[in-house]
Amino acid sequence: MKPAAFEYLKPRDLPEAAAALGAEGSKLLGGGQSLGPMLNLRLARPSLLVDVSKLDSLRRIEETPDLWRIGGSVTHAQIEDRRGSLPGIEMMAEVAAGIAYRSVRNRGTIGGSLAHADPAADWPLALAVIDATVIASGKAGSRKIPADRFMIATFTTELKADEIIEAVEVPKLSASARTGYFKFCRKTGEFPEASAAIVLDGPRRVARLFIGALNGAPQSLPALAAAVAEKGMAAASKEAIVAALKAAAPELDAVGLRMHAGAVTRAISQAVGP
Amino acid sequence: MTAITLTINGERTPLEVEPRTHLGDAIREQVRLTGTHLGCEHGVCGACTVLLDGVPVRSCITFAVACDGQEVRSIEGFEEDVAMAQLRDAFTKEHGLQCGFCTPGMLIASRDIVLRIPDADEERIRHELSGNLCRCTGYVGIVKAVRSVIVTRQAMSRTAPVAAKPTVEAKPFAAFTPAAPVATQSVTAAVSDTARQGWTRFEENFVIRRTPAEVWEVLKDFPTIAAALPGAELIEHDDAHVKGRMKVKLGPIAASFAGSAQVERDDKALIGMVRGAGSDSGSGSRTKAEARYQVTPHGDGEAKVTLTVEYNLQGPLAQFSRSGLAQDLGRRIVGEFAANLNARLGGGPAVAAAVALDAGNMVGAVLWMRIKGIFTALFGNKT
Repeated sequence: MKPAAFEYLKPRDLPEAAAALGAEGSKLLGGGQSLGPMLNLRLARPSLLVDVSKLDSLRRIEETPDLWRIGGSVTHAQIEDRRGSLPGIEMMAEVAAGIAYRSVRNRGTIGGSLAHADPAADWPLALAVIDATVIASGKAGSRKIPADRFMIATFTTELKADEIIEAVEVPKLSASARTGYFKFCRKTGEFPEASAAIVLDGPRRVARLFIGALNGAPQSLPALAAAVAEKGMAAASKEAIVAALKAAAPELDAVGLRMHAGAVTRAISQAVGP
Repeated sequence: MTAITLTINGERTPLEVEPRTHLGDAIREQVRLTGTHLGCEHGVCGACTVLLDGVPVRSCITFAVACDGQEVRSIEGFEEDVAMAQLRDAFTKEHGLQCGFCTPGMLIASRDIVLRIPDADEERIRHELSGNLCRCTGYVGIVKAVRSVIVTRQAMSRTAPVAAKPTVEAKPFAAFTPAAPVATQSVTAAVSDTARQGWTRFEENFVIRRTPAEVWEVLKDFPTIAAALPGAELIEHDDAHVKGRMKVKLGPIAASFAGSAQVERDDKALIGMVRGAGSDSGSGSRTKAEARYQVTPHGDGEAKVTLTVEYNLQGPLAQFSRSGLAQDLGRRIVGEFAANLNARLGGGPAVAAAVALDAGNMVGAVLWMRIKGIFTALFGNKT
């Protein structure tokens, strides 16, 4: 369980990191909590790791009037420990607290998790449902990518080879907004079998419902989200949920359908239930 | 080798490490601090937990070179620590260990719980300890030990029990009409079913803007197929045999499978059968795959190609398998292949190459059905 040999670079800034990432066989390293096991199992054999986890500019959480800007190298634990002090995006702290285990959260980063793009991971789902924006920085400068379009498929994102997630911008929800987030894990901290998340923000007229832990990227259930916004739990009948799931993720088998239906039901119930 | 300096248990320690040396190995092998135990070595069991700059981390998936200048505290470094002394006593009293393998990691994780969540109840303790595996105790003794230390510490600090959470007046949900709904991402159905023990089966289809007869002829031509299939390299072929190699990069995982296959064709029914085998020398994984393909009329002078793949994967890559990843990768490969083939046949514009497939690895070609099976096999073993 020792990785194949690789070179290691700790760049001083983003341009140096982007330049190094252009090389064949180079790979970005965040907290290494997903890449580490793949390296140890020798599933991944990069020739160069470019470690951006220590870049100060990527480790800040900043607030503006409308949004929170969370640096790409901010750890899950940092977000978890902001419980009660992230007004407008309280859901983010709850999601962070549910990722793997504390010793993993102390190193794993939000940008690393997003860029790794495991279909069952929390951030691709949570940031899609909350309508965050990914700031990607590369040789050509930086650009914005909506989080719900950022992940393309398993381990596959919109990021170009030389791009790094500089930050994610998370819009603040209204004080009266409702959220729900539920995942089925066979064991606490493991990747879930099914997950679902909902954001209902009346003042901003936003209703978003996504499911995760699919074969690929999280999928949106827009019609169901709108129906729940208008009718509350009454719109969340088993039939309506199953129909929405079949449309959004036709690849789900009977077990997957049932588990996702359960996750959707519970997420909706958290948001609008009694 | 890279020169780094760690402060280990308070002592400044210069080390020479390879970049791939993880922190657990560095402190065990070079500093001879063997109290840190290595169990799974891929971040699952928690036995290797140490403190890095004061917070618990898994030393087996933390590279020593990345910790240059940081402070490491291993299980040997807690002699003067009050909370750890309390935990040691409690683990002894409550039978919180048997073989002792998980204990160093358990103690460091427990100390973090005791200090970070000073009012943790049993449920919270169990939740927080879920990243540390113990195969002897059944956890009962460990949880009791941690809880007893928390109770002791609460009594010592004479802290009042934490007040119950203030009950927030729950307002009923206020319905609203959302703005235009977000667009749904399109998904292609992929049917999966288990065919035989240890094999995985799935089906895909795509449409080529040429007649079935034309498509059938094209599918006989290995070089044309090869040119449309990303990552493939044709080594040799005749009418019914093909040898080749295909590279695929899926996120951080790169594999290169070499193999050969035989093809049988029914020119009347437009049904083909491919049987092949291959191996990835990098991981030492092997696969066998069979693919049945059929060309049928579709719409106005177009052809639909239906593909059924069955595969079996053995070796290290099979262990990584997660259900569903195979279908997703297979769908992308088929989608890109169909787009490239359409473009080549003048049936439509070329679709942008799927970013999933590493452009640097897109070289030549191989019999695509079998290859698809192999690469699909790589990343999933849905049974």
